[in-house]
Amino acid sequence: MPSRHEEERSEEGSVGDGLPDLGDSIDALTFEQILEMDDDEDEREFSKSIVFGFFEQAEETFVKMDKALEDRDLAELSSLGHFLKGSSATLGLTKVKESCEKIQHYGQQKDEAGTTDEPDEDLCLSRIKAILVVVKEEYAEVEKVLKKFYATPAAS
Amino acid sequence: MDKGDMAGSAANNSSDFVSSSWSRSSLFTAPHLIITRRMLEDPSYDAIVRWGEGGESFVVLENEKFTKSILPKHFKHSNFASFVRQLNKYDFHKVRQNNEDNAPSQYGPNAWEFKHPEFQANKKDSLDNIRRKAPAPRKPAQAIDDQYPAQQIDLINSQLMATQQQLQHLSERYQDLAQGHVVLLQQVVQLQKFVKNHDGVMHRVMGFLHSVDAQRRNSRIEGPFGNNAAPGIGSREPLSNDGPVDDHPASPLQQASELLGEISVDSLQNKELEQLSADLQFRNDYSTPPNDHSATMAPPSETSSTHIGYSAGNDLDSMVYPVGHTNGIDPINSEHINNIPYALPPHGMIPVNPMPEMVPEGNANLGRKKGLMEPIWGMNKPRVLLVEDDKMCAKIGSKFLQAFECGVETARDGLEAVNKINNGAGQYDLILMDIIMPNLDGVSATVCIREFRPDIPIVAMTSNIRTDDIDMYFRYGMNDVLPKPFTKEGMLKSLQKHLASFLKGAQFPNSAPMPHPGGFAPQNAPHPPLGLNMAQLSAGQSLKDETSPGKSPATAGSWHSPNQIPGHSPVGHPPGYMQAPMRDNPYPMTPTHPHPQHGYQLPPNQIGQPRGTPQHRRVMSDMSGGPSEEHPDVKRQRMFPPPPPGSQGGFQQ
Repeated sequence: MPSRHEEERSEEGSVGDGLPDLGDSIDALTFEQILEMDDDEDEREFSKSIVFGFFEQAEETFVKMDKALEDRDLAELSSLGHFLKGSSATLGLTKVKESCEKIQHYGQQKDEAGTTDEPDEDLCLSRIKAILVVVKEEYAEVEKVLKKFYATPAAS
Repeated sequence: MDKGDMAGSAANNSSDFVSSSWSRSSLFTAPHLIITRRMLEDPSYDAIVRWGEGGESFVVLENEKFTKSILPKHFKHSNFASFVRQLNKYDFHKVRQNNEDNAPSQYGPNAWEFKHPEFQANKKDSLDNIRRKAPAPRKPAQAIDDQYPAQQIDLINSQLMATQQQLQHLSERYQDLAQGHVVLLQQVVQLQKFVKNHDGVMHRVMGFLHSVDAQRRNSRIEGPFGNNAAPGIGSREPLSNDGPVDDHPASPLQQASELLGEISVDSLQNKELEQLSADLQFRNDYSTPPNDHSATMAPPSETSSTHIGYSAGNDLDSMVYPVGHTNGIDPINSEHINNIPYALPPHGMIPVNPMPEMVPEGNANLGRKKGLMEPIWGMNKPRVLLVEDDKMCAKIGSKFLQAFECGVETARDGLEAVNKINNGAGQYDLILMDIIMPNLDGVSATVCIREFRPDIPIVAMTSNIRTDDIDMYFRYGMNDVLPKPFTKEGMLKSLQKHLASFLKGAQFPNSAPMPHPGGFAPQNAPHPPLGLNMAQLSAGQSLKDETSPGKSPATAGSWHSPNQIPGHSPVGHPPGYMQAPMRDNPYPMTPTHPHPQHGYQLPPNQIGQPRGTPQHRRVMSDMSGGPSEEHPDVKRQRMFPPPPPGSQGGFQQ
């Protein structure tokens, strides 16, 4: 993709044009403003560090979530959900963010949207268990996309 | 009373028709009535107007003739309605027809009979009594006008006073509680530190015991080989000699280890802070006596040195940027950022060199961004404290801020933020504050910071942006909300809004701190450094291992209440300075309300927003359908559970 950054440079305003391969899991507008922070668009050291930092963080969080699920620790799950929600939202990883939000809400023993109480702990845990599978898939997808994006040699 | 003079005056006042026969009429008798009486006494009018039967009323028999022929002679008008109106003003009453038994009227169908108890044929003098009721046609109306508002004003005044008193009470109560809250926070922090340190000590002891235990076991194993236990080992045995004789660690040791593992410092502190936040929420239900905190929780202060440090740090004027420091980056900044344990990407593909990023200028590659962002600041660049526990968000936020040419420092939680503000190491011009953070959440941190920096703009940076959340942020002294995930534009807007004095071409380009609204600045100087103790705590000086367990270090004098500072009322400064202006001048209380926290009952956009944030509603509406968030109650209490290992250190610092 030798022309990627060229495109970006020339079409600054048109969101997503420079990043056609990011798919709909990533909010281009949000992600692009991080890319814009890269001093060098070939190296992309800043955004890369952010993104790979996120990978690390997400994987750690998933491990913790699994553990918390095992321990039936809803509060912990909610808090982990909130945590990952923040990071993923910052990168514009919409799907991951939304799933994390659900975990946050289920962890508070609420429904998906966080509006209604759900006193059944088992139900909440099983919901989290289900959504955890989903969020990991969603994460794997964006991870793949992003890794590809960064692995693509920046030729110029 | 000189009747002659009076008569003369009356005559001049009324008309030529008033004769000396009215000598008894005072100046104040209405001319109108005098004339009327005179008309009645003129026998030539009898067919038209005359006294009624018995002389207690008078009757206009021929309305039309009266109006056309008599009225013009005596008055300047020929309007019967006016005549009647005048009479009404003097409390005359028309005698109603149905008052009289059957006959439509004894004077004829068109007759108008008027009556006034003091207006009688045989009582000339009683005219004076009528004027008592209505001295002049217009004055009564005015009197009523005057009286009515006067009463109203009295009423309103008293209500106002009552309301103000109430407000004052509320403010005082609020102050007490806020103070108590801070004190409690400090205590909690203290306790946390203590517990944490204690924990460390316990672990060390455990480690030691384990080693001893291991030696003991070794000695037992070695024993059978005839190697008579060395006296040295034997002498240590009493340390663990109630352990079972097997090859496992002594069971008391195991139990102790388990206990230590269970009672993690993190869970403890979270619970306490959660509780505290909950208390904060319900503080209005409390009825704590004002002096309670200071009485029970404020041991004498011994640490005046910190005050000095504080006041030096708080001296806004002396804290302008170092001369020539125009690139907006303070050495502290990069230094600090290097200290942040950001995990580097695991892949090693990324050049490990954060420094170039820290310097917004002198990097040619910034050209594009620079094009986007024209320099917006004047001579001095604002310095922003970014409080954010998520290192990614912190990193991105810092990056944005640097792109805006702001000096950036970060804090990983509320506690660190409070410490940074408190230490005076850096004077910040704006704080971007995450809400949900470990150790001390953003709202609580704001409350603390507000105690000694009532003026600094604090912008909540959060994804919890439901209306009640936002109301809460404002209520507790925050100035604005920057919804997460934040955008560059949103951040820039917020900066421009709250750092107007730094903008290029601003009126006060050289004033490092925000220009205070009137009355703010003086309060800064004598303000007791409420949060200082935390700095102290955080410096790790508070641990008193030698303190006996029964004696809580929190009350043993290692922290002090700012209330103890001489010259301040026991409940600290806020009630003090609240009361003074309020008593002297009950009205401008709200406008001069210097402390954002006092304004909690005000609309949010008035709180601590002297520069005005008319847009703040817009900000809220800008939040494009923010995800519905956690229940506020839960959220308020929610602290991060054990923070990720990387950020643990924040607590220690």
